[in-house]
Amino acid sequence: MAMRRQLQLNTHISAKFNQELENLKHSVLTMGGVIEQQLVNTLVALQEKAPSLAERVSLNDSKVDVMETQVEQECMRIIAKRNPTAGDLRLIMTVSKTATDLERIGDEIARVARLVTLNKIPDSELVFGGMLDIGNRNVAMMRATFDAFARQDDKAAILAHQQDKDIDRVYKKVLEQTAAEIQLNPGDINQWMDVLWAIRAFERIGDRCKNICEYVIYLTYGRDMNSSSMKKTVKKLLK
Amino acid sequence: MLRQFQLNYRQALSETASLLCASIMLIFLVSMVIFIAFQGSQYFVPKSAYKVSITFADAREEVFYQTSALSLENVKAQFDSRYLGQFLAEPENTPEVSVQLAEEVYQVVLDSGRVHFGQFYALSSMDEPALPLSELDNLRDTVALLQISLQEAQEGRLKDLHERIAQLDRSGVATDAPARDALMLNFNRWQAHVFELDRQIQKYRMQFKQADGDLISIALNDLDYLYQPNQLTLTDKIGFTFSKIWQFVSDKPKQASTTGGVFPAIFGTILMVILMAVAVAPFGIVSAIYLHEYAPDNRLTGLIRIGISNMAAVPSVVYGVFGLGFFVYTLGGSIDELLYSNTLPSPTFGTPGLLWASLTMGLLTLPVVIVSAEEGLKRVPTGLRAGSYALGATKFETIMRVVVPMASPGMLTGVILAIARAAGEVAPLILVGAVKFAPNLPIDGEFPFVHLERQFMHLGVFIYDGAFHNQTETQSSSLMFATCMLLLIIVFLLNISAIMFRHRLRDKYERV
Amino acid sequence: MLKLFEREILSVDEISKAQTGIDVRDLCVHLNGKLVLNNINIRIPKNKITALIGQSGCGKTTLLNSFNRMNELNRNHQCSGEVWINDRDIYNRKERISRLRTQIGMVFQRPNPFPMSIYENVCFGLRIQGETNRRKLDDSVERALKNAALWEEVRDRLFDSAMILSGGQQQRLMIARALALEPEILLLDEPTSALDPLTTLYIEELINELKKQCTLVVVTHNMQQAARVSDYAAFMHNGELIEFSDSDSLFTMPAKQQTEDYITGRYG
Repeated sequence: MAMRRQLQLNTHISAKFNQELENLKHSVLTMGGVIEQQLVNTLVALQEKAPSLAERVSLNDSKVDVMETQVEQECMRIIAKRNPTAGDLRLIMTVSKTATDLERIGDEIARVARLVTLNKIPDSELVFGGMLDIGNRNVAMMRATFDAFARQDDKAAILAHQQDKDIDRVYKKVLEQTAAEIQLNPGDINQWMDVLWAIRAFERIGDRCKNICEYVIYLTYGRDMNSSSMKKTVKKLLK
Repeated sequence: MLRQFQLNYRQALSETASLLCASIMLIFLVSMVIFIAFQGSQYFVPKSAYKVSITFADAREEVFYQTSALSLENVKAQFDSRYLGQFLAEPENTPEVSVQLAEEVYQVVLDSGRVHFGQFYALSSMDEPALPLSELDNLRDTVALLQISLQEAQEGRLKDLHERIAQLDRSGVATDAPARDALMLNFNRWQAHVFELDRQIQKYRMQFKQADGDLISIALNDLDYLYQPNQLTLTDKIGFTFSKIWQFVSDKPKQASTTGGVFPAIFGTILMVILMAVAVAPFGIVSAIYLHEYAPDNRLTGLIRIGISNMAAVPSVVYGVFGLGFFVYTLGGSIDELLYSNTLPSPTFGTPGLLWASLTMGLLTLPVVIVSAEEGLKRVPTGLRAGSYALGATKFETIMRVVVPMASPGMLTGVILAIARAAGEVAPLILVGAVKFAPNLPIDGEFPFVHLERQFMHLGVFIYDGAFHNQTETQSSSLMFATCMLLLIIVFLLNISAIMFRHRLRDKYERV
Repeated sequence: MLKLFEREILSVDEISKAQTGIDVRDLCVHLNGKLVLNNINIRIPKNKITALIGQSGCGKTTLLNSFNRMNELNRNHQCSGEVWINDRDIYNRKERISRLRTQIGMVFQRPNPFPMSIYENVCFGLRIQGETNRRKLDDSVERALKNAALWEEVRDRLFDSAMILSGGQQQRLMIARALALEPEILLLDEPTSALDPLTTLYIEELINELKKQCTLVVVTHNMQQAARVSDYAAFMHNGELIEFSDSDSLFTMPAKQQTEDYITGRYG
């Protein structure tokens, strides 16, 4: 049976190691906070069609990249110097993978922001509304994910994980609507391509959040989310 | 298969052989201890007395005989076997021996240690020719009082008078001077008094009838104690044994070392050993410290070490000869020339004595002390020295505060082993000062109280002497065995105390 | 620029003279006629932990011993070069070795408590110094034991034999013994090699605390330990100093191939 443990970060004999792990976790959350702000800003820019705000989001993305590099380096340094094992090792691996995913999320957000910057927002109310809907759902899922990560709460992580299904559903709907719109206005195919990319980016953000939820579950359970035993556990938890 | 069998066989063989050797050794050891203990304890327990009648072809002999044999048959067998050897050539003349328990016989022990057997015949005081035995204690008290007044007259008066007369003589006073005459008169009067007292004391006598009917008469003054060996109760026997043990450790030897105690030998041994330890311990320990801590690790040091080990293997009599030649003749001779030239040619230190014996034994046991002290020093871990140096201690401080305390078990063991060795050594001691009988202890009330130049008695030498001169007499050989037992106990105790000491200190100084 | 993690470690080249605890210049040491240290130049930073790593026989311990001249216990010993501590070359003629060693404490591989009480062990150095004032001794013992994180465990049995303490406690006692002299530098020669892993971590944590009051140099065979505990690390090989840098870089991006091979276990 998979054992569920809450990681105790503050109980190492070495006070410095405690501090390092704590810092590492906080750094990921900081990074998450920045990303969340980026997403919210992008949505605001999209809704209000404000290219300058979108421009700022694009520029800010390099900050996220720098943060990712720093987190990766710190992970490497801790692995080299502390030889972490078991829960500590899983935490560091989780942090490292999370940082990668966060960086990707940042890239996806930048892609959406570029759509606003280039003023290629679709005129169709239906598609535009669908984009806002999926974006808002993304924000909700992202918050739930970071919350689960911060608390290392596996139940919250599974719940956040489930939200991706809604996003996928909305994504399919928006995609269908977009396809219909394209058929109506086939001349604007270049603009529609960017729109499609943006919609896809939103969907990808959901997938990345799902990944992070899986890492959180891996961290607490030490099991891969996709293994059969884990699936049973998830079902039990959700009942 | 065969190989396996052979291996098993060899295993079993080696195990059996080693077990055999170990058990043989153990049996030897135990039987030696039992033998010595049995023979030695004979000296202390009271023995039964028998009346033995021996009928020769032409004569008849009757003796009282005391032996530890348990039954009449055993006693008879002892005599039979003795005569069987003597009359081997003419077996028809072998005497008839008959033994019976001598119920009434007294064993009479004199102050001199002489022993007589006999049946009580008479007790006589100054004016009563025949008194019952119950009067004995009263008469002895009277004799003791007379003895005291005799001693007072002798010590208090006669000696004083004699000295004064001698003084006058020395100062050239004429033999017929009135003062001298007066003194002389006085002296003669007191002397007559002493003679009279002595005559009176000699009147108190006891008579015993010996086995063959002859009478022996014993002055009560000479009597030490008398008892009936065959009438003793168990309590009497135990009390007798203890008084005998007490006599053994507190009295001096009597009757040419056949009876009495060995106190002077114990005293001499202990004193000699203490002096030796005082001489050898600092010397040996300091040498060991030099050799182990300071001496450069080169060939010369190695040679010195080999030399010391070889010193331990030199026969002890060689040390005795060296002590005699160097200490007694050379050193002692020089001391006499320097300090005691007025008494020469009679030597003071130029003759075997306690000091020289101690020094010789010190020399003999020096390698033991050095080797075990060095062993102790070797066992001090280098880590401890390094720890001490790292805290800013100099070499001297390290040695004094860390190394020597830790090595002390080894050092003390060495000293104790040296003492045990010296207590049991004989050959060199005979050459340099131990004698079979020394009238004076090396420590007494006479100035300067400690007489290191005197000869002394030693347990080992005492045994050696006893073994040589008294092989035939059962009584004296049991004294020798008793001394053996004492020596064995002393050496065992010393060795055990060395081991315990080492363990105690090791617990204290070495990690658990 | 955004900084998620604070680094207070200077790189080796940035260490100024004032920040140097031990300055070794051209040090060569021969022991028993063999060259053990070959031309070592190293500046060990003050109030930091420096680890010396390398194979057995590479000269780590000899280098450590040359900081308090313990090498001189070996009679067949030759040494050239300079070791500057506190603006003086400790190999100068006038240097008093015993005084030097009170300023530079040393802890050995195996705990080597003297067969005395805990109290006497700690004040051994002070007594050697001639300190007899009971109150001063008491104070020093208490302070040293507190600094070595041993006070709470032994305060009720100060006068029991030091031999009854456990291995980890003994090693902390050894640290306390060195600290009682208030040294500027503490040399640790494989201080945890005889201890179990958990005790090792406690000692390491203690070492980490101690850098507030003194410069520490640790020799260790245990690479993980060197990585965990040190601020700076020096890799030595065959009596030569191959690489000296802050341990973050040494253990993640060593500059020399030899170092990389050693710390990744590819040596030889």
